[in-house]
Amino acid sequence: MKKALIIQEDIIILRIMERLMLLNSYNCKAIRTISDLNIEDQAEDFDIIISEILFDGIAPLDFVFQIQEIIAHKSLIIVTNMGQDRIKNEILNTNKVEGFFAVPFDLDRIQKLIA
Amino acid sequence: MFVEILIFIIKLLFLTLFGTWFTIGVSLLYRSRRKHHLNKIETAFAEITSRYLYPLPGEPFDLVRANRSFRKLGIIPGKPGNVQYLIDLMIRTQRSLLGKNYDKLELLYGQIPPYRASQKKLRSKKWHVKARGLREIYEMDQNQYLKEVMREINHENIYVRREAQIAMVVFLGWESFRFIPYLKREMSLWQQIKVVEKLHDLYPIANIKYLKKAYNSEKPYATEFIMRIIRKFELHEEIDFIIKHLDSPNFDTREAAIYCISSFKLSQKQLVKLKSKFMNVGNVEQQVQLLKYINHISGQVDIAFFKLLLYTGNDILKLCAAEILWSHECLEEVEEFYYQQYAVKPQPA
Repeated sequence: MKKALIIQEDIIILRIMERLMLLNSYNCKAIRTISDLNIEDQAEDFDIIISEILFDGIAPLDFVFQIQEIIAHKSLIIVTNMGQDRIKNEILNTNKVEGFFAVPFDLDRIQKLIA
Repeated sequence: MFVEILIFIIKLLFLTLFGTWFTIGVSLLYRSRRKHHLNKIETAFAEITSRYLYPLPGEPFDLVRANRSFRKLGIIPGKPGNVQYLIDLMIRTQRSLLGKNYDKLELLYGQIPPYRASQKKLRSKKWHVKARGLREIYEMDQNQYLKEVMREINHENIYVRREAQIAMVVFLGWESFRFIPYLKREMSLWQQIKVVEKLHDLYPIANIKYLKKAYNSEKPYATEFIMRIIRKFELHEEIDFIIKHLDSPNFDTREAAIYCISSFKLSQKQLVKLKSKFMNVGNVEQQVQLLKYINHISGQVDIAFFKLLLYTGNDILKLCAAEILWSHECLEEVEEFYYQQYAVKPQPA
């Protein structure tokens, strides 16, 4: 079974995405902030990470770079409340993310990416 | 005697102090419990929504169970605080999603409590409750209440009628412009911007047929509003409407017209029309703005027009025209004007 990690502060979006991943036969870990990550997660190799970019104490772009080093994963999708064009372009230009979705977004498009 | 009074005052102060601490303690306790309870409602709502949107095979969504769990959490008419919290969650969730999930949520919201909570708010006498009810109705796309909403578009309170007008735009889109001539009260600038933005978000493809029905409205705010729509949707074929109002007797209408026309490039014919209107603009500042705009959009400088201004306009316009001619290297015209002001030609030193 494939493994996924979801980090979303909004619990409603978190739960909805968790179900979406379950339906697509992923084994899913859903947490609300990066401080909920534990040491075992670092040993995991996730197939996909779906994450927010707004966290205390870390800039969005730094987060995209750092998560690369901290947790092993094959692809990263950003789902965020902050849809400013500048941030979006900066993050997409790093070529480290598979997709960038700012609210409001269509979950069908995310489903296509993870299927 | 003095000591007794002192002791009494000290006792009173202590009593007040302990009283304050006690109140703070109770308030802290209440708040932490309340927050805990609201979190529970949020978690339950998250669980129900996710189960509804993505039911696992062999585990169909159970509406009765969902409603029961809401009731258990205190979502009942007797507790308006809880009901309001749930409504806010519903609006937030629907605003985050697009596509078929958005429509599915709309269906769900029709089947779970609070039944008719927003509609009841419309009957309130307080303006803020009424405005909130209207906002909830359009945010949750409950267009069955269109009639009730329509009644409020001329409400005496600015916020109530603003929300009602936005609701009309959300439900009817471009068709809602049929109602512009019937608006009886002022539409503030902020109100116009809000409505235009909402229209652009929800109905990005313009339907000029309905917009034209509002053209005959004589009210200045309606004219300004239409011009803002023409600008926002880049309706090039409707630029003549803006040009027509450039020399309106109303200052604000002219201001809006100049602001709106600045984002368009004009055809030669329109430019000629604009220039013919120029002298009728009643304010020098606005004339200067227009002059700069004319200079900005014309490829070649219209020497005859600017020269005419040099000799007929007022001092500020003359200066502006001279500046434009000078920057286009028409030095002769400016120098000629300069020297003709003096009876005796000054001799170079």
